[in-house]
Amino acid sequence: MTGKPSPVRLHKDLETIWKTPPGIARLSSVNHTILGKRFMLLALIFFAIGGFLSMLIRAQLATPHSAFVGPEIYNQIFTMHGTVMMFLFAIPMLEGFAIYMLPKLLGARDLAFPRVTAYGFWCYFFGGSILVIAMLAGVAPDSGWFMYTPLSSRPYTAGINADVWLLGITFVEISAVTAAIEIFVSILKLRAPGMSLARMPLMAWYMLVTAGMMIVGFPPLILGSILLELERAFDLPFFDPTRGGDSLLWQHLFWLFGHPEVYIIFLPAAGVLSTIIPVFAQRQILGYRAIIAAIVAMGFLSFGLWVHHMFTVGIPHLALAFFSAASALVAIPTAIQIFAWIGTLASGRPRWDIPMLYVFGFFFVFVIGGLTGVMLAMVPFNTQAHDSYFVVAHLHYVLVGGFVFPMLAGLYHWLPHITGRQSVYRLSIPAFWLIFIGFNVTFFLMHLTGLMGMPRRISTYPSNWGWDWLNLLSSVGGFILTMGFSLVLVDMILQFRFGRRFRRDPWRAQTLEWAMPTPPTDYNFASLPRVDMRADAIEPAPLGPVLASGEGYLGFARNNQQETLAVDMMTGVIEHIVILPRRTYLPLWTALATGGFFVSLLLGHYWLAPFFALLVTGLILLWPASLGFREDQGPVPIGRGETAPFDAESTSNAAILANRTALVTNATLFSSLLFGGLFLIVVAPNWDSAPAPLVPVWLSILAVLAAVAGGASAFFARATNRAGGAVTGGLAGAVLAQGIATAAFLAIMAGMGNPTAHASIAIAFVTLGYCALHSAIGAVIAGHALWRKHQGYVSARRATDPELAFLWNGYAGITAVFGAAMALLLGGIL
Amino acid sequence: MSAGDRRALILLIAGFTAWSFGFVLLYGLQALGCAYDWPAHRAILIAAYIVTLAPLAWLSLIKVRAEGEPASVLALSALWANRAALAAGVLTFFPATFASACI
Amino acid sequence: MLFGSILLFALVMVLFALAYIRTGWISRITPTQWIVGGGLVLPIPVLVLLTGTALVLGEQLLPHGRTPVTIEAHAARWNWTFSYPGGTTQAGDVLHMPAGQPVDILVTTEDVIHAFWVPRLGGKIDAIPGHTNTIRLEADRPGIYWGQCAEYCGIGHDIMRFRVEVHSAEDFAARFGGEAR
Repeated sequence: MTGKPSPVRLHKDLETIWKTPPGIARLSSVNHTILGKRFMLLALIFFAIGGFLSMLIRAQLATPHSAFVGPEIYNQIFTMHGTVMMFLFAIPMLEGFAIYMLPKLLGARDLAFPRVTAYGFWCYFFGGSILVIAMLAGVAPDSGWFMYTPLSSRPYTAGINADVWLLGITFVEISAVTAAIEIFVSILKLRAPGMSLARMPLMAWYMLVTAGMMIVGFPPLILGSILLELERAFDLPFFDPTRGGDSLLWQHLFWLFGHPEVYIIFLPAAGVLSTIIPVFAQRQILGYRAIIAAIVAMGFLSFGLWVHHMFTVGIPHLALAFFSAASALVAIPTAIQIFAWIGTLASGRPRWDIPMLYVFGFFFVFVIGGLTGVMLAMVPFNTQAHDSYFVVAHLHYVLVGGFVFPMLAGLYHWLPHITGRQSVYRLSIPAFWLIFIGFNVTFFLMHLTGLMGMPRRISTYPSNWGWDWLNLLSSVGGFILTMGFSLVLVDMILQFRFGRRFRRDPWRAQTLEWAMPTPPTDYNFASLPRVDMRADAIEPAPLGPVLASGEGYLGFARNNQQETLAVDMMTGVIEHIVILPRRTYLPLWTALATGGFFVSLLLGHYWLAPFFALLVTGLILLWPASLGFREDQGPVPIGRGETAPFDAESTSNAAILANRTALVTNATLFSSLLFGGLFLIVVAPNWDSAPAPLVPVWLSILAVLAAVAGGASAFFARATNRAGGAVTGGLAGAVLAQGIATAAFLAIMAGMGNPTAHASIAIAFVTLGYCALHSAIGAVIAGHALWRKHQGYVSARRATDPELAFLWNGYAGITAVFGAAMALLLGGIL
Repeated sequence: MSAGDRRALILLIAGFTAWSFGFVLLYGLQALGCAYDWPAHRAILIAAYIVTLAPLAWLSLIKVRAEGEPASVLALSALWANRAALAAGVLTFFPATFASACI
Repeated sequence: MLFGSILLFALVMVLFALAYIRTGWISRITPTQWIVGGGLVLPIPVLVLLTGTALVLGEQLLPHGRTPVTIEAHAARWNWTFSYPGGTTQAGDVLHMPAGQPVDILVTTEDVIHAFWVPRLGGKIDAIPGHTNTIRLEADRPGIYWGQCAEYCGIGHDIMRFRVEVHSAEDFAARFGGEAR
């Protein structure tokens, strides 16, 4: 570390550590640049598949009495179009974008959990493949992309179709939740030194709120999918009104996810706009602090809108009024952002380029979508337009306007970053106009078709109702739109092949991602910058060479370790060095085992699933094996004359924060389950003579006491470890106590009565099953910490493992209390 | 992370968190009142409306005197967000005073 | 609502264009004016007024009390059965209604979710398993209208239509019972 190596030497040293070799070894990559590109490429492939399906839809609807495909096939086509676009294109696209971009924007070398990125990618790949294979085999889901029960229940969808959706999408959702946690933690911890929260580029704020929304927004859907799959596979009647279930429960769970989802898709795109517009306006974004407030407001308000998808299900007017008002109000933070963007352009020195063309497209299309959105928020109008083509037009205006147009602007803006080449331009402009005109022709007319009474999801229509010419024109527009997208694809390929190379920062942007070589190296920055101002006001061109020559932090290679820095989440003060895991096939194997679990459920081989679950658990326990130290290291140099400890010796490291975040996700799932149970008790039909589950009080008390004792024991272990004392007794106590709790919960479940008889028993059964599972998880994690201690990885300073054991055991204790209370309530004892 | 920093960060989401709890409370009371035919349903709803607004009003008045760079920026965003939460509470929950609760 | 929307849309697009055309005054608007003016002053009154009107209108459309004539509409895959005050029940996808008076339609379903919708007469209401939903409709004059299932319900969703025959109140009372007004 004495005597600065030359930039070339430094590059070679870092490259040997961080490189992913070509060939089959690419499958072991955990690098965020590679995986981000992979995510985006796969999302584009799914976009093409979804687009192809939409062409089939428009071909079918071009003429009345169409005989192109029958309703059996048509129902699969529109279900898959919606499913692919929402779950396999939009969400993975924004994840891929965030995975690629965030570390570069924040001045880090990778995300906090590179192997989790890789695992998420494989889950997405395998889960998406299940859906595509099912479609090719002709057994694709056909109940509509929001899968309303009872149409998607066993009596009305007897085949495997609905299972494909429930299991395939849940598999893909694993990647969404893991990515959300990883993005959340990485933004908060892995930033350049000095970059406080208030200096972050707005893109990071947008992604932080988006990730936070995903953390609490996805669990309701995952819970709904689990419950519906339990109903389909084992006949537990959560949604069957004859046995105390209610199909409205599904709608609530689905839209409690589904509406925030729309904002989860929009916010990253708005982040793209907030990044690109200042570059082309040639001034800093206007209203930085107001935009942060607007993003936070949007994040929360978007959770108070879900019932506006359910205005016609017969909910009382007062409840509709709450949601109607919230739906109208969410327009205000949107308006703040729109005017902040226009104001930025107006007060800067704006210039035109291809990305701005798409920004124009965004303003045009999204404002129309927003205005029709306000119309739909009004209950009387909604009951007329609901489920008609007006809604189809509206949702395409907001999603294409609010996601596809900004992402295309982003594509033209950042493709040079990925390829190291600039656009060829000849095709870009006609491509834009084809997309813009094609889009508006297709979807603007649908507003009229809808107002004329055409409902969505019909495969044919009679010719005498005046819908013919509108539908024909929409189909023509659709094909123009497709030509536009094909031209963009050709344009991209040309840029990869013939684009002109450039030195650094071709757009004169002022964010950190341009302060690195393009295409980027595997380690991003040869040394990490110190950020003493707003991170959207730096000058990449002079900064780049300084970083490349190793004058920032960590400008050296040490012990073959992949190192980056973690900071205090608020102030950006340096906290510790993060040692990132190197490339490995473990994520791939774990994802394959996870896939085995889902496929065995899908094919009905239920006896196989537990073996795969055990295999997954075993593989996950192997992950931490390569991390940590057997001795305390103390602070080590990080360059620029400063020192910092390694992450293993920090009590606020990314692993602890990530587990806390995961528990928030988990708690959202559990509270959704409890609310679901209460909802059925209050609203569902056929509860007057409901059979109550048999819940023995003494056994419940035993289970709760054991689970709480496990939590307390882990707490004790954590405290003694910090004080330098022995940790073994406390951890072993936790394992034992949680083992007893698991057994007690299982015993109650076994004797509570037949869960297929009534939803009251089914809910109690699942709630206690959740508690049993979490006690077991607590035992496993405490046992794992015990093993880590035995291997020498735990000391008073290296305290991560006891901390995690405490978190999960404490959580098991809390859920046991609530779970048992719910069961006793259903059992008529409370 | 100093105490002032943490305070600014918590304040940033406090208003809308309170709004969310208010939302759940009012929606829950509306559903329970209909399911069990509460006699004083409207009075309970109006009371809940007022109870919900109290913390929102309080939060929108808190100005953190934050020193230094991250906290001062966030404190201003927090003030905006909390005022927005109060406005959102007043407007979105207002129907509790008049709209038909059970039809 | 339509004209307001056109106006707001035009405003945003004109401002966007002006940002590029660069007349002097637009670059002198301060950040606060942009945010407060465009983000708060412009939308809040519009939204409050609109939502308020919609809620009052929504209250008026609600089925308060009971109308003299109530008709039960029972949906099953993929047809409709209607029952009338006099006790008649008719399968065969034809709904008879009296003109010039509000009528409550009680909507139920045999199997999956359907939705009752006569576009010319008003909004729609879903038929949810295990629940009975009510929608109040009023046809001004006798005539023939079309109704259809508006919630996707499987393979026969396309063809799940029904005919609405609106009779004069006296004719309706004579044929199906209930009191004419």
